[in-house]
Amino acid sequence: MTADDTGAAPGAAPGAAPGAAEHGAAEHGAVEDHLAALAAALHGPARVKSRMLAEVRDGLADATDAHTAAGAPSRPAAAARAVRDFGTVAEVGPAFQRELTIAQARQTARIVALIVPFLMACWYLVGATAEDAGGQLPAAVHVLAANLGGLAAVAALLAAGSLAATGAFSRRPATPRQLPLVVAWTGTTAAVALAVSALTLTAGAVLAQHWPAGALAGAATLVAHTRLAASARACRHCAQLAR
Amino acid sequence: MRGDPVRGHLDGLLLAALEGGPLHGYAIITAVQQRSAGALELRTGTVYPALNRLERTGLLRSTWESVGERRRRCYELTDAGRRALADERTAWREFTSAIGSVLDPGRAPRPAT
Repeated sequence: MTADDTGAAPGAAPGAAPGAAEHGAAEHGAVEDHLAALAAALHGPARVKSRMLAEVRDGLADATDAHTAAGAPSRPAAAARAVRDFGTVAEVGPAFQRELTIAQARQTARIVALIVPFLMACWYLVGATAEDAGGQLPAAVHVLAANLGGLAAVAALLAAGSLAATGAFSRRPATPRQLPLVVAWTGTTAAVALAVSALTLTAGAVLAQHWPAGALAGAATLVAHTRLAASARACRHCAQLAR
Repeated sequence: MRGDPVRGHLDGLLLAALEGGPLHGYAIITAVQQRSAGALELRTGTVYPALNRLERTGLLRSTWESVGERRRRCYELTDAGRRALADERTAWREFTSAIGSVLDPGRAPRPAT
């Protein structure tokens, strides 16, 4: 799950060191404990999660300042009130997770929509140049490549549609709940198609004695497959959490 | 007043709070509470994912700004956000006018504007 998080609260504030004033230590405890609990409960793209938690940390610090200025008996009491007003992880975690799940789905959809058609085009180019060079790809490779190409086109269209449905051009305020799961399985299917393409067409290029270009495209496809499979796996995990 | 009735209008409340200019997360929460004279209590933790969603759907844009040692993410309305706020206001006026004319039949319904 490469795109996923470590569960740690990123950018931990320069909190109270051992022996620091009791108040500072207590404030650090209330806010940082809550952030750590939230971080442990949330899964999604690390960059998005880190940005969300940094914003929450700032918000809780602002709230602590405001409660202190409004006459809270102590700064730790102000921090505890800020955390209470924020809501428990059980109360507010699902809303954060929904956003992270959509972010993960959009990341997966971007890979499918951009990289998969590009790689398929590369493969057709390799196949065409192999035949131009006098090589002959087996008929089975032609049939399989046509089917995989069709599958990739459908996956890319689905991914592009999902990006449109969750982005700035969406006219729907709410994202359909099943959409991240659809993107996750679209990504998984495309990842499998890439792996099969890499194997089939590498074998085909070798048979057609056009192996250098085939091997190069095969390696690029394998890299894309690894990246896409990891993103799709993280997306499936997030989609389960957000259901 | 807290819970579902407020949550159903959260997007409109957040857009309205930003109508006067850019604000960061906690200032938006404070603006909603002050405008409602404390009648609307928001779980502050529900506001941040909602701001994220409004930015993702193009109704808000955000920038990070440094204030002393603290960095704050400031939000402002986009043109699409202003249009969404206007739509939200129209829908709310029509809704309250219709409900009001049933609950309080003695008063003439106000035409929606």
